Amino acid sequence: MAHPQIAAFARLADKNAKPVRKIEGQKTLLGRTMHGFTYDEIHDEFTVPQQFAQAILTFAGGAEGEMPPLRVIQGSRTRLEGPDRVAVDAVNNEIFVPEGDKILVYDRMGNGNVAPKRALEGPDVGRGMDALAIDPVNDLLIVGVGTGPIGDREGGGTRFLIFDRTASGNVKPKMTIRGPLAMGGPFAIYPPKKLIFATNRPVNEVLAGDDSYLGVWSYEKSSSAPPLWTIGGPKGIFQMPRGVALDVKNKSIIASDKRLNSVLTFRVPELF
Amino acid sequence: MAKMRWFVVLALLGTATQLVMSRESGLVHGGAQQTRVIGSERLVFVEPLPEAGGEICEPVPASREAGREETLIAALQQRQDARVASLEARNAASQDRSKMKPVRWIHDPYAAFSSVAVDPINNEVVLTDENLFQIMVYNRTADTPRSARLTEPKRIIAGLNTKIEFQCGLYIDPKNGNIYAVNNDTVDTLVIFDRTAKGNAPPTRELHTPHGTFGIAVDEATEEMFLTLQHDSAMVVFRKYAEKDESPLRLLQGDATGLADPHGIALDSKNGWVFISNHGSVSSRTAGADERPSRRNAQKQNWPKGRAEAVPGSGRSLPPSIVVHSMKAQGNASPLRVIQGPKTQFNWPTGVAIDEQRGELYVANDIGNSILVFNVTDSGDAAPKRVIQGPKTNLRNPTGVWVDLKNNEIWAANFMNHSATVYPLSASGDVAPLRIIRSGPLDEPSLGIGNPHPVAYDSKREQILVPN
Repeated sequence: MAHPQIAAFARLADKNAKPVRKIEGQKTLLGRTMHGFTYDEIHDEFTVPQQFAQAILTFAGGAEGEMPPLRVIQGSRTRLEGPDRVAVDAVNNEIFVPEGDKILVYDRMGNGNVAPKRALEGPDVGRGMDALAIDPVNDLLIVGVGTGPIGDREGGGTRFLIFDRTASGNVKPKMTIRGPLAMGGPFAIYPPKKLIFATNRPVNEVLAGDDSYLGVWSYEKSSSAPPLWTIGGPKGIFQMPRGVALDVKNKSIIASDKRLNSVLTFRVPELF
Repeated sequence: MAKMRWFVVLALLGTATQLVMSRESGLVHGGAQQTRVIGSERLVFVEPLPEAGGEICEPVPASREAGREETLIAALQQRQDARVASLEARNAASQDRSKMKPVRWIHDPYAAFSSVAVDPINNEVVLTDENLFQIMVYNRTADTPRSARLTEPKRIIAGLNTKIEFQCGLYIDPKNGNIYAVNNDTVDTLVIFDRTAKGNAPPTRELHTPHGTFGIAVDEATEEMFLTLQHDSAMVVFRKYAEKDESPLRLLQGDATGLADPHGIALDSKNGWVFISNHGSVSSRTAGADERPSRRNAQKQNWPKGRAEAVPGSGRSLPPSIVVHSMKAQGNASPLRVIQGPKTQFNWPTGVAIDEQRGELYVANDIGNSILVFNVTDSGDAAPKRVIQGPKTNLRNPTGVWVDLKNNEIWAANFMNHSATVYPLSASGDVAPLRIIRSGPLDEPSLGIGNPHPVAYDSKREQILVPN
């Protein structure tokens, strides 16, 4: 990517609508490609990992232009290696960062060279943890696991491991849910119905393919069942879907697609 | 007084009715909805009872006092089961939305130019488009009139067979016009096309590269090809004609090198120097051999140490810079010079180019909306000797720059306004371009979306947040 940026579009933006604001420039400390991103609506902040600089950047919700981050977690005590994804528990004031074989948890207000307040790691936890979400309603931590040992043991593909929100050290997951074969990007959850929204992308290093869709899974109990819902594919509009976000008020799902280089909004009131 | 008593009783009865109705609606809809009472009690909605399968409770005479509670529980249970069955049936019927279309689709339909190179022999200019994944070839002298929507290219290379995606670096072989185009993020392959290639043509040659290659430069005298690597803050040098899984000839990587999220690269073959622009983000790699090489790269020499070899907590956010190395530098070599500091005006310096004849370094200064010109011998906190910048220039987030010494012109690829602009080599200040090639209508918004990965929804401002 030649130009890193965070672009903000109006909710009803369509087609070639101009962004209403952008965050970009040297002082932002941003880099590309940003693989994780979260908006904290309680404190009106957004948080993004900086994988090259091993940092977690938190900005004011209304940041615009070359505004520097409010807080930066970075330094020798952080244990950060290549942070790709991030989740913020706005209710319990914690930041979660998956780092493959561990999940690091920081105080939300952590700034500078701070150590994680706890870590979830060990043989029972597994490896390949590369995405996560926090459910403060049901006090759960949902972790997306790629092709690590846990996935291999159960037949490959992505698994969602469900832990207690405050799990620490070497603990086994409470539940395991079979997810997409190859998860395209960060996933979203809807705690009131215990639903996971994640994308499936084509495998084998192809640039685009028919096996692309947005799926919905339940995390009510362990399951190997296929997704409850498939949206926009297979053989639909998606070519290489990535991340997912929810607009609960307007009962919509927002998803990105790398090959379409686009952001798509689906209205699915039945799911909310 | 009696009237008042009746009024209170009626009011309580009405409130109780509302509460019951609220609860009922909450039951049906899983508690998500609440009945909104406006004025007096009224029917809000009717939902037919779902048809339930299974056994039906036997009717029990009202006189059997002992069985009344069980009957009530059984009835409630049946109703609950039916509700669940109804919801499941409803879900089952609506699970497959594979053909569902989005209600809105944010997308820029026009090319976003990220890099530029001139073929002076064939009088053509080549541009990479990071938005629609294209290589576009125009007449060098093309000039889009203000009244025109855009200029049609002479040739377009695009499609899945081309393996083009998020290209940021470009080189034209001066001997034959062949196009070397760097896939930055997702394909890990350098693709080379014949000059006349067009359409969905597979590359003539492919070279598997480390992840995150950005800039490219070639030393024609030694037939060596230089590539920058963003993710691992490194530079690799291949044979110019390397292909497939060939190893690099040399690797430059390490804390001493000054490489930190490197982008553009340019050679001063006359002096034997290589110039590399850096955005500034970097982390250290472990000492010693790579303990966890990927399967594909395990046998390769001079391969950069990847993220698996990162030293935890070693990340730094450094000021932007341009480092100058010997073209023969390798290992953890220190740069010969570093241009860095507030006087440089660097703000995400990206593409770079060299005018060997005049000894000048050109920098596409993305956020500065400027082209900065330095002497190739500059060092430290040096101010640029010339700056092309201002509203007349039409520069908008330039990420690519090219010096055309045959025609004494400097080109810029403007990522954020669907255009490439060309200036005289001596241009300085707020100067209008000699020519503009536009890929889209004038003033049409340019979104700048590139490899959107996560998305988020800002519920306070009702905005969709899209990072690149």
